[in-house]
Amino acid sequence: MTDGIELLAGFLAAAVRVATPLLLAATGETISERGGVINLGIEGSMLAGALAAAIGSSAGGPWSGLAAALIAGATLAAVFALVSVHAGADQIIAGTAITLGAVGLTGAVYRAYYGTAGAGLSIPTLAPVEVPVLAEIPLLGAALFAQPLTTYFAVALVPATWWYLFRTRGGLALRAAGESADGARAAGVRVRATRTLAVVAGGALAGLAGATLVLAQVGTFSERMTAGRGFIAIAIVVLGRWHPGGVLVAALFFGAATALQFVFQASGTAVPYQLFLMLPYVLALLGLAGAVGRVRAPRDLGRPERAS
Amino acid sequence: MIPPALQLRNIHKRYGSTTALAGAALAVEWGETHALLGENGAGKSTLLRIAGGLERADGGPIEVGGGRAVIRSPRDARRLGIGMVHQHPTSIPSLTVAENIALTAGWRVQPREIRGRVLELSGALGLPIDPDSYAGRLPIALKQRLEILKALAARARILLLDEPTAVLAPLEAEELLRVLTGFAGVGNAVVIVTHKLREALSAASRVTVLRHGAVTLVGNSDTETPDSVSRAMLGGAGRPEPSATRSDARTSEPPAIRLQALDVARDGRYGIALRGAALSVLPGEIVGIAAVEGAGQRELMRAVAGLIEPLRGVLEVRQPVAFVPEDRTTEGLILPLSLAENMVLGMGEQAPGVAGALVSWKAASAATADLIARFGMTAAGPEAQAGTLSGGNQQKLVLARALARNPKVIVAENPTRGLDVAAAAEVHRRLREAAAGGTAVLFHSSDLDELLALSDRLVVASGGVLREPERRDRDLVGRMMIGAA
Repeated sequence: MTDGIELLAGFLAAAVRVATPLLLAATGETISERGGVINLGIEGSMLAGALAAAIGSSAGGPWSGLAAALIAGATLAAVFALVSVHAGADQIIAGTAITLGAVGLTGAVYRAYYGTAGAGLSIPTLAPVEVPVLAEIPLLGAALFAQPLTTYFAVALVPATWWYLFRTRGGLALRAAGESADGARAAGVRVRATRTLAVVAGGALAGLAGATLVLAQVGTFSERMTAGRGFIAIAIVVLGRWHPGGVLVAALFFGAATALQFVFQASGTAVPYQLFLMLPYVLALLGLAGAVGRVRAPRDLGRPERAS
Repeated sequence: MIPPALQLRNIHKRYGSTTALAGAALAVEWGETHALLGENGAGKSTLLRIAGGLERADGGPIEVGGGRAVIRSPRDARRLGIGMVHQHPTSIPSLTVAENIALTAGWRVQPREIRGRVLELSGALGLPIDPDSYAGRLPIALKQRLEILKALAARARILLLDEPTAVLAPLEAEELLRVLTGFAGVGNAVVIVTHKLREALSAASRVTVLRHGAVTLVGNSDTETPDSVSRAMLGGAGRPEPSATRSDARTSEPPAIRLQALDVARDGRYGIALRGAALSVLPGEIVGIAAVEGAGQRELMRAVAGLIEPLRGVLEVRQPVAFVPEDRTTEGLILPLSLAENMVLGMGEQAPGVAGALVSWKAASAATADLIARFGMTAAGPEAQAGTLSGGNQQKLVLARALARNPKVIVAENPTRGLDVAAAAEVHRRLREAAAGGTAVLFHSSDLDELLALSDRLVVASGGVLREPERRDRDLVGRMMIGAA
């Protein structure tokens, strides 16, 4: 019986831990997509953030790692914005190029820094911060109140993003740019600047998401370590209906699906574990199939501002 | 007796709880150009769409050439020889003119052959067009010409047109109507939906007037008068007379808009749209810009509104400036957003409920509800999506928002496009009121009648140059617009 509770508590803690980078990246992508830009480059921003976190943390501790990750993620997003928002290139292709480019770039930098072996790389990480008293709550305590600071930040970002989008003029301008670039422009919104900022902010958050992988979960960097989490984040945005609260729920759902896979693996069934690895992705497909018919994306999503 | 080309009788159509048509009828003879008139929402477009197979009537027989017809789709309509020309072009922008026509007419796609057939067709009808141009690159008048050619290439003998002259300059409109009456004259039939009385009475041989989904008048255009027709459209009251043009210009004050030697680049493209423009507008003055598409008026309006940075020259505009853009559905409003959100977005610092970077939606909604009431808009409330409003109400919202800022300058592009007579009169009244209060109004209209009715002073833009006509004279202004005077 105690075993069962312990297993469940472990599952919940793992779910929240796994959800954290997804939530950060998806919140960033929500901001970007609300502004009308779909950035497939966030997978690349995450990967760059992960490597920057590793390098920064080795050099100056976890906080330097976080700062470096923010900058790396934002920089890649800025390149994406330059190409897609300003030059008007196809967002899907530009984003894919950024992601593929980041795979190559991070690989090259990683080898230059740590050599081809790369083994034994160990990085100062962020320790979980326990909230006094609350962390002692059975079952949920560990999941909710004994997490690294990045998790608390990610959760706090949810109401903050909601507030920005729906209670400030900047948020209204951002949503307007996403629904109708022409209309926003006629209303005096600087559409390109607005979209660029949204994309860069989204990239910075994706970089941070990459950093949490390294600094709060794995404790090391390996090539292609993001393994599609950026794309999952984009699916989470759709599943969460472009709403910060929905995104939180969807991210936790994915976290839970992934954690469930750990539980299954740990329980030692005869089923090949690769099947369990599929679980979150299969759930993503099912969720999207159920959700998509009922949701409406920002109307000008993916469309560059026309010149006239 | 030859049966009519097209006859619809006792047509009913409801959308949910709204009745669009209540026993409407239309009879069009062969050889006739028939004008279908009515206010916005009178049901004229719906009736046309039923004849064209885009909507199905809830009840009521349709006969084509005397035979009972079932029209379930545009395809059925085409088979019966009915061609429809929509208000908004339906061509595929990335295909050429010839390809678009071949696609609609079901021709074999054989580039040289379709090119030849298009040239032949356009020559025979007197509607010249370059078959190799991409449809998306055509100016609006040619886009519309392409729509007509598509219908005729599909062997239409009954041509239905929804507001065909709304987007055309006066001379282009006359030309089009001449071609259409010519087409009808050789044994075909044409139906034109319009709300322009003058045009209907001069071009059509017969008119049908709808009001609230029912026929209020069927008559010959030579026996009906603008007065009798507008009474039928509006139900008794008749056309609201444009109040006598009376300038409120305040000559003692410095101009609210002053341009000198102003050059403005073409919006979004290379080249210069406006060169050496000089213009000043006094507080309280209403200046109308007459121009055909692409004469530089768009850039003029947008430069004054502060949306385009001029290349060089003097541009002084008193602030705040309110801008009423040409297309309320793409620029004036953001349709997926609510009325209150649109209100705040368009008003910037002066928006109700805005304090610095924050928005209080409670205050914004209250102010929006107030405007809805004051401007007599039909809307579910401030939280309703802008896209759910009718065209007239959308334009009222755009205007209400512009006026709510107490602007010193209003810049308006085609402020009454697509509005019915009553709504247009309301827009004019509001603009005059603003001028009487000392606001300078600069507006452009493609409708010469509107320019003459509303403006204190007319300026013609042609080929990027601004000129003032010597007299307020339709013909002179019309010729100046196309650079012929």
